[in-house]
Amino acid sequence: MPRRYNPLMRTESEIFESLRGILIELFEIEPAKIRLEARFFEDLDIDSIDVIDLLLKLNEVTGKKIQAEQFKHVRSVGDVVSALATLLNGPHERAA
Amino acid sequence: MAVAARLNRLWRAFGVSFAFALFGIGGLALGFLVMPLIRLTTLDPDSLRRRTQRFVHHCFRGYIALWQWMGLFSAELHHLERLRTPAGPQGRLVIANHPSLVDVVLLVSLLPEVDCIVKRSLWRNPFLRWPVLWARYIPNDEGETLVRACVERLRAGRTLLVFPEGTRTRPGEPLRMQRGAAQIALAAGCEILPVQVQCQPEFLSKRQWPWQAPMTTPHFRISIAPALTAHARPQPGEPVSLAARRLTREFMAWYAESSGAPPL
Repeated sequence: MPRRYNPLMRTESEIFESLRGILIELFEIEPAKIRLEARFFEDLDIDSIDVIDLLLKLNEVTGKKIQAEQFKHVRSVGDVVSALATLLNGPHERAA
Repeated sequence: MAVAARLNRLWRAFGVSFAFALFGIGGLALGFLVMPLIRLTTLDPDSLRRRTQRFVHHCFRGYIALWQWMGLFSAELHHLERLRTPAGPQGRLVIANHPSLVDVVLLVSLLPEVDCIVKRSLWRNPFLRWPVLWARYIPNDEGETLVRACVERLRAGRTLLVFPEGTRTRPGEPLRMQRGAAQIALAAGCEILPVQVQCQPEFLSKRQWPWQAPMTTPHFRISIAPALTAHARPQPGEPVSLAARRLTREFMAWYAESSGAPPL
């Protein structure tokens, strides 16, 4: 079945770019430090309160209500990117 | 070393160990015997909170007087009146550095009614669970839960004591503060009263046992800064996450500057 075009479909690299912008805006993180494998607490000095601010920001940007539960096991930038990709594109379809 | 100095040090090593044992035994006895009597004086939870906190304050005053009478340390206090002026309706956040185990007791001995953050495990301690519950101290939960509990107290106009480092200062290392205190102040919009605690020589620090008495009698210098009122607000367009970073940097710079240590 041909896949229908979905304007909300976002590739992981697009999501990563938006997330990078948000991390710089909210937490003044050096752009060079923001890589998929960077861990929030250890590498980026983002604490649990910051994660809540990040969630609020992502709710605002995506227009979707992200549950704190979905972010419970998030440790790195890459984890957030895949969580967002699932949220925006659905669990089964992954934009290439 | 002169004999007198040697004897003095020996006395202090004994005295501090004795005072520690007294704290344990006295704490259990007061918590188990006297506190329940206070419980019987009122049914109103807020009066109970106030009476329990005041009782703890008076016990700590007596305890500190004992330490000083035994010659275990000396202390000088500067601008105590800044602690004595009533807090505004938004409450007051007292922040302090934490070089020694004694400074918690010292600060509570100066604050007649204060909300403190206390180890969660005390709520399961058979002797101390009721006192911490009645004094409505705040358990040291994780991140948001703790911040929310603290903000709630400040909004009720109360005074809250926080050590922003989250643990005792590591001697010889630059002061490192977590951002929780700034997050609390920003969320509550309260005034902030920074307290500088200095202790020379090092005494009951993170790497010392009670019986390791320093060569000379420790001397505490406690100095209360003017209240910061406008700081606990984000600047226009500034996200709270950035304001918390800025405020925490301001705290650390103030402590570094006022202690004469090089800034971080």
